[in-house]
Amino acid sequence: MMLLRRFEIHQPTSVAEAVQMLAHFGEDASFYAGGTELLLAMKHDVLRYKHLIDVKVVSGLDSIELRDGILRIGATATHRSVERSPLIRSHLPVFVDMEQRVANVRVRNTGTLGGNLCFADPHSDPATLLLALGASVVAEGPRGRREIPMEDFITDAYETSLGTDEVLTGIQVPAATPQQRAAYVKFQVHERPMLGLALVLETSDNGESFRDARVAVGCVSPRALRSAEAESLLTGSRSAVEGNLLRAADALADSAELMDDPEGSAEYKRNLIQTFLRRAFQKAVGQP
Amino acid sequence: MSRKKPGEFQVVNHSVAREDGVAKVTGRAVYASDIRLEGMAYAKLLRSPFAHARILSIDASEALRQPGVIAVLHGNNLQGIDPYYGHAVKDHPLLAIGKVRFLGEPVAAVVAEDERSAYEALESVRVEYEELPGVLEVDAALADGAPLVHETSYAGGSFRGFDDPGSMKASNICQEVHLEWGDVAAAFAQAAQVVEGVYYFPMAYAYAMEAYVSIADYNDSGLTVYSSAQHPFIVRHDLAGVFGLFLNRVRVVVPFVGGGYGSKSYTKIEPLTAACSWKAKRPVKLQLSVAEAMLTTRNDDARVRIRTAVDREGRLVAREATIHLNTGAYAENSPLVARKAANRIVGPYRIPNVKVDCCAIYTNTVPASSFRGFGATQVTFPGESQMDELAEKLSCHPVEFRRKNLAARGESIHPGLRPLDADLAGDIAMVVQALETDKPLSKGHGRAVACSASDAGSDPVTSTIVHVYADGSVSVMTGSTELGQGSHTVLRQIAAEEMGVELQKVRVIGPDTAVTPFERSTGASRTTTLMGRAVLEACQEAIVQLRDMAAEILKTAPENLILERSGVAFQDRRLSWQDVLRTFFGLSDCSIIGRAYLRKVGDLALLPVFWEIGCTGVEIAVDAETGRICLERLVTVGDVGLAIHPAMVEGQDLGAATMGLGIGLYEELLYEGQQLLNGNLLDYRVPRFSDLAPKIDLLLVQNQDGRGPYGAKGGGEGSLNPIPACLANALYQATGVRLRRLPLTPERVWRALREQRNKGDNVGH
Repeated sequence: MMLLRRFEIHQPTSVAEAVQMLAHFGEDASFYAGGTELLLAMKHDVLRYKHLIDVKVVSGLDSIELRDGILRIGATATHRSVERSPLIRSHLPVFVDMEQRVANVRVRNTGTLGGNLCFADPHSDPATLLLALGASVVAEGPRGRREIPMEDFITDAYETSLGTDEVLTGIQVPAATPQQRAAYVKFQVHERPMLGLALVLETSDNGESFRDARVAVGCVSPRALRSAEAESLLTGSRSAVEGNLLRAADALADSAELMDDPEGSAEYKRNLIQTFLRRAFQKAVGQP
Repeated sequence: MSRKKPGEFQVVNHSVAREDGVAKVTGRAVYASDIRLEGMAYAKLLRSPFAHARILSIDASEALRQPGVIAVLHGNNLQGIDPYYGHAVKDHPLLAIGKVRFLGEPVAAVVAEDERSAYEALESVRVEYEELPGVLEVDAALADGAPLVHETSYAGGSFRGFDDPGSMKASNICQEVHLEWGDVAAAFAQAAQVVEGVYYFPMAYAYAMEAYVSIADYNDSGLTVYSSAQHPFIVRHDLAGVFGLFLNRVRVVVPFVGGGYGSKSYTKIEPLTAACSWKAKRPVKLQLSVAEAMLTTRNDDARVRIRTAVDREGRLVAREATIHLNTGAYAENSPLVARKAANRIVGPYRIPNVKVDCCAIYTNTVPASSFRGFGATQVTFPGESQMDELAEKLSCHPVEFRRKNLAARGESIHPGLRPLDADLAGDIAMVVQALETDKPLSKGHGRAVACSASDAGSDPVTSTIVHVYADGSVSVMTGSTELGQGSHTVLRQIAAEEMGVELQKVRVIGPDTAVTPFERSTGASRTTTLMGRAVLEACQEAIVQLRDMAAEILKTAPENLILERSGVAFQDRRLSWQDVLRTFFGLSDCSIIGRAYLRKVGDLALLPVFWEIGCTGVEIAVDAETGRICLERLVTVGDVGLAIHPAMVEGQDLGAATMGLGIGLYEELLYEGQQLLNGNLLDYRVPRFSDLAPKIDLLLVQNQDGRGPYGAKGGGEGSLNPIPACLANALYQATGVRLRRLPLTPERVWRALREQRNKGDNVGH
């Protein structure tokens, strides 16, 4: 049996109290939501905390709303509730498609979207897709509330730009427009995916051409990332984009600075990016 | 006595409800970890951070001052017991003594009032090490001047027949096995075609849902151990040796076990748990996590250099192999794995000239031991790969080529061993039909059929007692462990069939060495064959007693009575066994016992007890872009003589084939230097339900040709053995790529395909 060391659990009633608790305990404490990653790391003795501040008991932090064309997902909403939300299903189906394939149903039932982003595992499916969707997160602390674009939120493997006195309260994602063509694809053999790839295209002419493209790749570098060069190659007439897919994949792979590791060699990961960018494009534009 | 045929049985040969089914699905079944003894303390283990290091000092004083800590055991405070165990070679100290031999080896055990206190106190045990150069791979271990994993010789264990460990050379060779018949050199010289290659079988972990757990209570009356052990009687033997106790002072009880697959064979954490209880003077529980279990045992990974020759007519004429097994830090069961690997590389074929050199080699890695199908798994992959390679050279269909060379029933494949007791040609024909090999293949798909024969059953020493009660109920006392394989159900069926009672009236009492009679082991697919036969014979022995009692009651000679399903008839009278017991003893709650023991005499004199057959077929789809292989179809054949419980035989075959799929496609313990990289279930990939083939055919062959009850013989391991070769051969058929290293991971397949493309391009230019 894998054991946890002793710790105390604290249950704040408000965001303000949660932030106060964190300030009080400092390095000895961590926020705790679903615990699917945190507790596992603690069981493996990779992380040690004497205090866990349970933010999932703070009421209202798990709401899912659509306001001003933006989906606002509370930080403690579980993957399962996101996956099953009719609002997200109708306004951002690609997000539901991704969430349905996060880990397994037990993890999705317990794990939260906010927890997933704050843990900042390089294999996060949501982090990769949210980056391509132009999402941002909301942080609250003693200095008030601020929005952080996904680009600036996850800074490295298991690192975020959250202040030591801040708590993540929500995720904001623009709802899909009729012009959006989006797909999330991944390659997974082990418990965590080896590659996650999100492609979001904008078309004004029903897929004849693409005026804007955002593409993000996850799992193969310390954090999910985009490539301006790849996105530029994915913009233009459909035939041009199709002709550029391989070059775009290479640009993405270059920006990821691929490395050999136990999951795979750099050249295999490059091959996966090439293969899955093409599959993402086909899925996004509705080809079989 | 004429033997019943399928269709004539009342209870046997039917897929009845499992004896343990309700208890297990309602969570009421008791496993070792559920047992709590009065005053029980808990142990946790400090493990070595080095693969090979001298222990300079151990200071447990601070740990002993931690809250709740009762005792700390380490290699320097085990005086008073013999701390070494091992059934083949007594080389395994229950805690490292003087030096550590693999990263993760237990160095100290902290016993505390609760598990968490024991765990938290581990950090306070101070150990000073001096790192030593280690040998992490077979080549390094065999190199001249290689550091030695073991410098000294050890006594032999309970098993006989292995090399005298006292003659061990100053080398890392743990055991050598040599096998030879015919004239191999001459046969290769005259051969029409030869294939030769080196094949690598991976280091794998036999994942069971329940990791190791033991509870020990050492007190004035002796030692009692509750454990998740497959072989309680061998554990008893080892414990008696460690503590210098008579066998009757060591009681090993095994409740339900949550899966074994070989990983729970032989002695594991029981001596250490018992030593904790001995030291702490309290009952002590030691429960390992899966990650710790992965540091406890694994299979022997193998490198097999093999060549096989055929004559012009496509007949196998010779096979020569050198097998190197990476045995890890301690011998455990690897000497037997080595012997089996040598025996099983012949396969179910007639090969007139054979030479095998097999060597189990110590390295500074997790000790290797039994793993479902052991020996056969490692060598069936190369052997059956070469069957397809040869078939291609001969322009012969691989199935045809096998048919031509399969030994027939009654034919000897191995001088000195029992002739083949199965109809493999019939088995293979069933697989071919189910796999629809005549239908065209889709692009990127491949099919293959492969087979194996394993000398199974182990040493046929088995005994049992059957209690027959005056109220019509029956109890079977068995030393066979219910690991989930369903043996309790099978034994219950046999007793119900023989005694003519309803299934519900039969109770099976599982292993308790103080109560249940001796059974050598629960492994080598033996339980149905040997324990099942012992139960049948014990029932028949009880019936002879009951008939004699009935004769006395009826005042006639026993031979005048007619035996019926659950009693006897004489003229117009009929007495049930119930009537006989009540009348004979004059009480309504008395009982008699029927006994049986089997040993290596009569029809069991010749080993193996039976040949366990593997015969499987697969169809795979290969994603050429990612290299990923998906299983599309699976066909297994359970050639089990008679399926006492058909659904469970099918379940065993599917389970075994799925383990084969795991090793074939995903499973491999990876070392980087001395560190095991993926020693947990997040990183070590076991098969999932989603990996199962969409179309599965689990076929049964019931020729009643075994030496078990009603002609039954064992199953449960056979369907694992040919699967990796099936996958590699199907990959070749689908893509033209031949891989000789398992697992066939997506990247390996992708690389091989790319290499093939590059070669093709070069040819084209």
